[in-house]
Amino acid sequence: MGMHLLKGTFDLLILKTLSWGPAHGYAISRWIGETSKDDLTIEEGALYPALRRLEARGLLSAKWRKTDTGREARVYSLTEDGRKALRQEVALWQKYVAAFTRVLESKPTESLS
Amino acid sequence: MRNDDELPLSGAKPVNDDVRGELEFHLEQRIAELQKRGLTREQAVARARESFGDRSAVEAECRDIESRRRSTKRRADTLDALWQDLRLGARVLRKSPGFTISAILTLALGIGANAAVFSIVNGVILQPLPYEHAERMVTVNEAHEKRGSAPMPVPNFLDVEAQSHSFDGLGEYGSGPTTVLVGGSAMRVNGGEFSAGFFKVFPLKPVLGRLPSPDERRVGASPVAVVSYAFWRDRLGAPASLDTVRITLAKSTAVIGVLPEGFDYPDGTQIWMPLEQSPQTPSRTAHNWEVIGLLRAGVSVDAATREIASIYARLKPLYAPQFDGVGAELVPLQSAMTGSVKTPLYLLLAASAVLLLGACVNLASAMLARGTARSAEFAVRSALGASRGRIIRQLLTESTLLALLGCAAGLALAAGGLKVLAYFAPAQLHVERLHVNVWVQGFALIVAALTSLLFGLLPAMRLSRSDSALALREGSRGTGGVRRMRAWNLLVGAEVALAVVLLAGSALLIRSFARVMDSKLGFDQTNVYTVDVELPSANYSGAGATVQSFHDHLLDRLRHLNGIQFAGLANMLPLSGNYPNGGMVIEGKPFLKDGPITGYSMYRVVGGDFFAAMGIPITRGRAFQLSDENATVNNMVVNEEFAATEWPNEDPIGKRVRVQGMDNKDFAEPWYTIVGVAGNVRGQSVTGPYRETYYFDRHTRPWYRARRVQYVVRSALPIATIAPLLRKEIAAIDPQVPVEITTMNDLVARSVADRRFVMLVLGTFAAVALLLAIVGIYAVVSYAVAQRTREIGVRLALGATAGEVRSLVLGSAMRAVVPGLVVGGAMAIGTAQLLRTLLYGVTPFDATALAGAIGLLGFAAIVSSLLPALRATRVDPLIAMRAE
Repeated sequence: MGMHLLKGTFDLLILKTLSWGPAHGYAISRWIGETSKDDLTIEEGALYPALRRLEARGLLSAKWRKTDTGREARVYSLTEDGRKALRQEVALWQKYVAAFTRVLESKPTESLS
Repeated sequence: MRNDDELPLSGAKPVNDDVRGELEFHLEQRIAELQKRGLTREQAVARARESFGDRSAVEAECRDIESRRRSTKRRADTLDALWQDLRLGARVLRKSPGFTISAILTLALGIGANAAVFSIVNGVILQPLPYEHAERMVTVNEAHEKRGSAPMPVPNFLDVEAQSHSFDGLGEYGSGPTTVLVGGSAMRVNGGEFSAGFFKVFPLKPVLGRLPSPDERRVGASPVAVVSYAFWRDRLGAPASLDTVRITLAKSTAVIGVLPEGFDYPDGTQIWMPLEQSPQTPSRTAHNWEVIGLLRAGVSVDAATREIASIYARLKPLYAPQFDGVGAELVPLQSAMTGSVKTPLYLLLAASAVLLLGACVNLASAMLARGTARSAEFAVRSALGASRGRIIRQLLTESTLLALLGCAAGLALAAGGLKVLAYFAPAQLHVERLHVNVWVQGFALIVAALTSLLFGLLPAMRLSRSDSALALREGSRGTGGVRRMRAWNLLVGAEVALAVVLLAGSALLIRSFARVMDSKLGFDQTNVYTVDVELPSANYSGAGATVQSFHDHLLDRLRHLNGIQFAGLANMLPLSGNYPNGGMVIEGKPFLKDGPITGYSMYRVVGGDFFAAMGIPITRGRAFQLSDENATVNNMVVNEEFAATEWPNEDPIGKRVRVQGMDNKDFAEPWYTIVGVAGNVRGQSVTGPYRETYYFDRHTRPWYRARRVQYVVRSALPIATIAPLLRKEIAAIDPQVPVEITTMNDLVARSVADRRFVMLVLGTFAAVALLLAIVGIYAVVSYAVAQRTREIGVRLALGATAGEVRSLVLGSAMRAVVPGLVVGGAMAIGTAQLLRTLLYGVTPFDATALAGAIGLLGFAAIVSSLLPALRATRVDPLIAMRAE
């Protein structure tokens, strides 16, 4: 059992995955599973509504394409808007993490009470 | 407008397959991978399902998101395509500014005419009156067995008011121009007396002060008045408190209340006084006041009418024979106020629609001509894969753009048109208060939308059908000549027919108006001035001596004034309103069933040289003379109608007549002896019948009959000279008397204002329709000549004469025009029936009007096709052949 995902960060993971290039849902699912060493547990099915929502927001585009095995798969790629959103989200995330880390590591210089 | 092959959606897969397929792919991949790791198929399937989660929920969610995404995208794509069409359309229109501008102008004329007339129809007929519960308000008149209806006598009104259960309020009132003194200066405003019930019909809350109390509504109470907001603001100076505000009417009157802004019922009223303060005649046959009622919710006009009839049935046995009513005639207030203008207004609306139809036809043929020139463009586009629908859509977008621009220009034209109309529209329409409001804009938009379909769809369908291969080969010279010419002939014919309808209609009205103006008025209105004089009742009350001596003095002064031929006065001039009529007794004749009278007659009180000043001939006997004024005998002049009706075979001179119940009981009616017969005069309206009329010398009638009079002055001086003279003379006697001077010609013009208005508007529409037809015919014939240049060149080369070529062109033009004239003539005969009520002296089947309209259009058609025909004969055969 790994950690549960923070709300909203799932989208960021998907965008990040697709920034390497077009991929179908299964590939994305596997990539997230591998790179996070299964520390992040997500029900696999939850990926698909998330993908569709991102597509509806115009951040992804999708096309049915033949894969290497000759089977048709719905392949997603980042749109220009998607790339922009990814950059913003990553910047925001890093700021957030930095700020949070700072808070967690600091010690009060004087008594709080 | 959605079209799948033009609006590709990502993945043409249906939503279901799209979603399911994606999820299945995932599961298959997962199972395959697990099997590769050594699991059995069953184990792999179970693992895959477990780690996937609730598949059906995911599938449902995805389906939902996907179908929403698709419909959003479809909308966006449609808008996008529309925007493209609009941009393309605008570019096309910009490229041919001549066509665009003339199309917009044509449309502006059509839509503008419709919008202007609709503004009036909307403001006068369609919009509810600005009163609360206006839909339940009715005017109430007393119905009579024989003579239609008349205002309800006061005692009858009081009985009906007390006994009826059909009304929330019933009010009796009388209102008209009156003279009021405010702080020493006199002015004429509309004012009158109103019973308590009037303010139940109009439950108004004064914005300042209060309404009259019951205690102020009785004979002998101190005079009070309620005034309009405008009067309070403009005439009284908008005082914050009414405590000390007084105006002078018959007596010094306290202003106790100010009604809300805008309320001015009846039309233009500024002062409302309690009717109950003046003593009323107990006569049940004196028809003096008007009645308005507010029907109780749910009570119909018919039910209320029946109820009042039953009340009258109870009253009649009690008071007969001094009782002539049989019930009431109720008319909804809105129809009562607009009844007479409804038909002409709807007629004008119909006429403006016909005009617009003509404009559409004109545009349709212009679009068709342009389309021919553009057929190569369409051929290329369809060869490149544009569907027929796509081309129709683009053409419709162009026509919609034109219609919208035409609509905007038309609304501007309508706003200007209303300003012009305000000058010559009948006053009761209050055109000056109308403007192009939201209703009118909405109407114009709807009209424009219909218009764009009318003139856009036909050419669009036709052009989009053109065979692309053929058009490409033949290049921009266009083809399909025969079929297209047939369409044009049809359009030109239609346009001609519509113009004939409008021209024939307006010719009828013009001829009718000419008859009206020719109708024998019975007096000579040239060089006659009228002076309205109302002696303020505050200074001219009580004994009549002051009134009489004012008139004695003024008549005497005028008689001696240089430049004035004759001067006289009358209680009411012809064509200046409904004038009084009442019962009379002719000596030796038997009484009628209605009461102790032998008949009815119109009643006029005159003074000075009235007949000479008006130019009314005395055909028998003599007019009143100065010496009559001191005579003890009561002399009378009657009109020819009177003499002919009462004594068809006898000399009326010397016969005796008595008035019955005209001026209430205080006045013992004497016998009058007829001394002269005057020519008949149009009394109430220019087209009305002559009515029996008797004339009285002002000295022989109660003094108040001469408190408000109109002087008539015959003089060759221009109004700018005579008006100050007259004012000076009146001011010399009493500077406080307000004076209004007009010419008799104006009075006549005002009485035909309705007719003139309808005639002018319809005439303008007809003129525009004629112009459109001329332009349309000219354009089509010119185009046809241009198309046939080569053929004409060949003919000329083969020896055809110029005359032959001319008649060839004219002949083909007439093939379109003549059927249009015939059809238009037939339609004109059909629609002339609608004009029946507006005509005077001409029948709807007036051959002259019809022939005139057809002749004018035929002539215009020949002239407008002659120019292109002449151009055709100048074709140089060599050049024409080389054009190949």
